[in-house]
Parts: sequence; structure tokens; C-alpha cells
Amino acid sequence: MPRLTVNGQQVEVPAETNLIEAARKAGVEVPHYCYHPGLSIAGQCRLCMVDIEKAPRPTIACNTIATEGMVVLTETDRVRETRKSIMEFHLINHPLDCPVCDQAGECWLQIYYMKHGLYDPRMRDEKVHKPKAVPLGPHVMLDAERCILCSRCVRFCDEITATGELGIFERGDHSEIGLFPGRALENPYSGNVVDICPVGALTDRDFRFQVRVWYLDSAKSVCPGCARGCNIDVHVNRRRPHHAEGRRVARLKPRYNGSVNRWWLCDAGRYGFTFVDDKDRLLAPTRREGETVSDATWDEAIAALAAALRRSPPDEIGIIASPKMANEDLFAVRRLLDNRALRRVAFRVPPRVAGDQDNFLIRADKNPNSLGAELVGLGGDSRAVLEAARAHRLRCLMIFGHDLLASEWPAAEVREALGAVETVVFVGANANATSAAAHWVLPAAAWVERDGTYTNFEGRVQRFRQATEPIGQALAEWEIVGRLLAALGDESTATRAEHWFRQLVAAVPAFAGLSYQALGDGGRLLAGAVKA
Amino acid sequence: MTTTDPTFSAEQLAEVRRLQALYPDARGALLPVLYMAQDTFGWISLETEEYVAGLFDLSPAHVHEVVTFYTLYFRERPGRHVVSVCHNLSCHLAGAGSIIAHLKQRLRVEVGETTEDGRVTLLSVECLCACEAAPMMQVDDRYEMNLTPVKIDRILEGLA
Repeated sequence: MPRLTVNGQQVEVPAETNLIEAARKAGVEVPHYCYHPGLSIAGQCRLCMVDIEKAPRPTIACNTIATEGMVVLTETDRVRETRKSIMEFHLINHPLDCPVCDQAGECWLQIYYMKHGLYDPRMRDEKVHKPKAVPLGPHVMLDAERCILCSRCVRFCDEITATGELGIFERGDHSEIGLFPGRALENPYSGNVVDICPVGALTDRDFRFQVRVWYLDSAKSVCPGCARGCNIDVHVNRRRPHHAEGRRVARLKPRYNGSVNRWWLCDAGRYGFTFVDDKDRLLAPTRREGETVSDATWDEAIAALAAALRRSPPDEIGIIASPKMANEDLFAVRRLLDNRALRRVAFRVPPRVAGDQDNFLIRADKNPNSLGAELVGLGGDSRAVLEAARAHRLRCLMIFGHDLLASEWPAAEVREALGAVETVVFVGANANATSAAAHWVLPAAAWVERDGTYTNFEGRVQRFRQATEPIGQALAEWEIVGRLLAALGDESTATRAEHWFRQLVAAVPAFAGLSYQALGDGGRLLAGAVKA
Repeated sequence: MTTTDPTFSAEQLAEVRRLQALYPDARGALLPVLYMAQDTFGWISLETEEYVAGLFDLSPAHVHEVVTFYTLYFRERPGRHVVSVCHNLSCHLAGAGSIIAHLKQRLRVEVGETTEDGRVTLLSVECLCACEAAPMMQVDDRYEMNLTPVKIDRILEGLA
């Protein structure tokens, strides 16, 4: 463990630590473009120059390993002058089209020019022009003029996805990144190149021109797209709703978690949030009588549902919960089971098409909380619940989120089952064919509209936080079930997600010792979890 | 030679493997193998880049990087003969400008173009390391030195 001094401050770092990371540990930020902790060292941008005692000239920090007794200075006059000159080189042919550039506000050319540049431009020559607004694939747009050739995107495709689509072509000031002619950037992780691009060269086609980044608010969250539970930031546009036709979720960005997804996120997860602001969102409780659908108040809906549960024998009530629900919701359902002594419960509904899986992040189970649902005790035979309904043995069936008609089960059998039940209740965020067949439809808040936790396939319990308000009258499932419990005379329902979690921890041994505080931003593994 | 399905002979493939074994990283042999490909197929087409990439287990983009970096790989099919006139300092002082003008007029092409009959491609290039014989040019693999318009006409007549 070498000990070194950075700007007069002593730090001890693991062997083989480079000077950017060593300085970071001392609380010193060394400006850089091409260095990325998840990629190989390129030493391409030359911006991370630092002075090292006894070295004749500034040295790049990214490719210098910290050694015992090293004395590193990041703010000498010579280093500052070097940085300024390098910024000037980087910007020689840069188009300075910030007013129409999506990266503006989170651009490291802008940030570092203000911090380390501030020179008067000396170039009189015409800038070299390159292709602009070139779609590289379904998600990524290239502006070759803005590129500083840091090669992060090239290294990402070589080292992380091993797909090798991108390269730096031509030479000198004609160099530009691009694809082999005729190919497209369409690997399942292509969106990450936008995140790691330090400038406006690679932008997100989905996010482009939606809203300026400085109008975005951010909440720490977890991707609900599969059982991995990649950590994300949800960026919402609450301050300029008219800029994106009411679309509230502007984008999802991966959030570093060394135990889950590191810096990365797959495209399916990154762009899979459109259901949140979709036109098919359920806005208010509705009741269907025959073909007539009418709005109801929450009080009417809860009262009707409580009455249905009261008048049905426990054996004639079925519940199909969902592995897309949070632990808190699932525990509320569990309480409902205990309250009414219900036994016909399940949460798994087989998808029509099996999910894809790779050996990186993507899991075949497209649900964020299957393990949580299992541990809370909702595991059961969902097909058996359906068959009981088909056999006219159920009077009340509660379905959470699933579209049973889009599952692997034959649609005709599902229709038969739904038609044979006196009261079908659907609780979910979006309308689907199953909700259309229900007698009561209760609108649930989407995951970005509420707090909660998921348990990923490895047994890591992770928090997601509310990023925006629930749409219409939607409520979190724990609150819907909680109101139902209250109507059934259960006095101990909680009014916050955190309290439900506390009750869950007290009741389910697998979760022992956890709390929202203990989960923090990176989550915690369940005590019994075996790392896969 | 067609542009489709470029393929090396068994002997050439053996030579590729010999070259690859010469370098600590087999990619070091990319330049000589690309020259082999150019000699065999006449130029480096995108199909050739993909073929060579396969020989090195590289992505075609990385072969394209190399081919576009260097000027001596032809990314379009050149004429049967390539005339490269030096326009660098010594040759320039010795009249390369008028040499190039003469070639353009005789061949009826601009620099970088190929004659309509596909006979000659005219290029202007940087120093070819024969300043003592300026002005000079390279015709295919041969240096032609101390050029005059008369000498050039004679050389052009010799190109089939």
C-alpha cells in the first residue's frame, strides 16, 4: 500500500492505483476526458497532467501508478498553463454550437473551459467541418465535429460489449469516430456510450431536444426492467412540462454500484420507462357493470372490495400478486392473506416469450422483485388459481398488474376464467386486456411515483425513491392494500413505505436487520443470500 | 480481379500466419497483410477489410481505422499504373508544379483521378527521399528522376 502526497495531503492507496484515483482519494479532482475507471487507459486527451516531484515535466496522471513517497502537485503554475493549452487544442476545431447542443449544461468542454481554460481564442483559420446529426443506431446520434477523440466509446465497444462497432477513422484533424460502413451501433448496451461521452458528440436520440438538462430533477432509483436491479438516477422534467408534451420522465441514467451494474445499464432498461407517461395509464378507480364503465371514488372502490372479500369464503378468493411490486406492497398483500386467511395466492405468470439473458447484466426474469415476492411468502401455483376460477370455484380474484391475456396461458382459457368470477379486481399502473375484463380497476402509482424496495436475484435489497408525483389518483399498491386492510378492521396499517418495510423486517426473518437507513444508496445483501 | 469474396490462396494464408507469428501482438502484421491484399486484389475494398479482419479476429472497424489512416492503401480501384509526383520542398523548388501541370494536361485528369481508359492514376505525394534527383516521381515500383516534359512523355508512352 504505497503512501504518497497529493497537494500536501498524505494518502495511502492500494498498489497499482493510478494518480487520478489516488488524487480522488485525497479529495483532489484531476481534470480528464479520456480516462474512465471502467475502461483501459488510453492517455489520449493529455488533460490530466500533474507535476510529480523530481520529474522534469508534467506527466499524465491516468497512466502513472502511485508509488511510495511520491509527491504529486496538481495546481502548480506549470500544470495550470499546460491544462489551458490542452483545452485550447481540444477546442481548435470544436464548432461551439452549445446553444443547439443537447450536452450543454453537462458538457465537460464547457465545465473545464470555465475552470481551466478561459483563454482568448487565437485561431483565425476556418474550422474543419465534419458530419453532424448522424444516427449511429436506434439510440445514439453522432456529431463528429464536437468529438474530442477521447476514444471512450471505442473502448466501451471493444472492452465491455466486445462488439467493436466503433473506430477512429482518417488521420490528423480529419480524424473522426464512426462505424464500419454499413454497420449500426445496435448492441444491447449502446446507450452507455452517450453517458461516457464527455462532450456532445454522442447524444441520446430519445432524449434529444426534449428538455434542457438544467431543468431536470433527479432521484436515486433502481431499474425495474429485470431481476438484476441496476442502480439508476431517474431524471424528471417537472419545471418545463410544456417542453416535452407532458412527458415527465426525461431519461434514466445508470448510477454506479460496484456490486450490481458498475457504471452501466442495458438499453432495454434505459428506454423501458415509456409506460410511466403512456396514454394507457389508469387515472382513477373505475367500476364496470356490463359494458358500462364509470369512475368511482377510492372510498367507494375500497368499500366495494372489502365487501366482496367479506362475503366470499377464503377459499373462494384468489390473489395473483406481481413480481413487479415492491417488497412493501407484497408485504401488505401478505397481511391481507393473514387477515382473511387466504390460501389461493401466487405471483408468477409465465410470459408468452421467454426473456433474453446474457452473461453481463441482462437477466431472463424481466421482473425486479421475484425473489422478494418469494421471500415474503406469496409463492404459489398461479395456474391453479386460474383453474379454480375457470371451475367457478372463485368469487373474487385480485390481479396485480399482470396482463393474463398476454401470458403464455391460452387466452380463451383466461377469458373463461375471468368470466366465471363474480368480482375481478385489477390493480395496476397501465390498462391492458385483463384490466378491461375486470369489474373494478384501481390505479397504481408507477415505480418512479413512489418509494419502495426491490430484492434482486442475488438477494440484494435496494431502495428506489419517488421522482415525481403519482399520476391522477394513482396510489402505491401498499397504500391501496393498506386502505383495504383498514376497511377490513386491521388497525396496524402503515402510512409510509418505510413503515411497511419496518413491519416486513419484523415479520420475515430473511429481511432481519435491514432498514431504509441500512440499505443506503447501494442496497444490502440479505443475510442468507448466496452471491451467484 | 472481382471485388466480391476476396480470398487468399493457401500459400498466402501460410504467409499471413508466418507474419503474425513475428510480432508479440499478431495485429503487428496487419500492415504487411494489407499490402499483400492490395497486391492480390488491386485495392482494399470494404469486403477485403472484412476478410482481413477475420484473419486477425479483429472487428472490421479496427481494420478500417488502419486503412483510412495510411495513404498508401487504395480505397478505390486505381489505374493499371500509379504515377506519384513528389510535391515536397526540393522537388517543388526544382519545378514540380510545372511537372504536375504537364502530367495533368497529357493525361487529361486532375490529381487524384484515373484516366478514362483506366491506364494511369495521377497522385501528388510528399517527399519520396530522392531530393538529389529532383524533380522526381514514382511510377508503380520505379523511381523516375530529373524529370523534364520530354522525359515524362517518353515514360507515359511506355505505360500500357
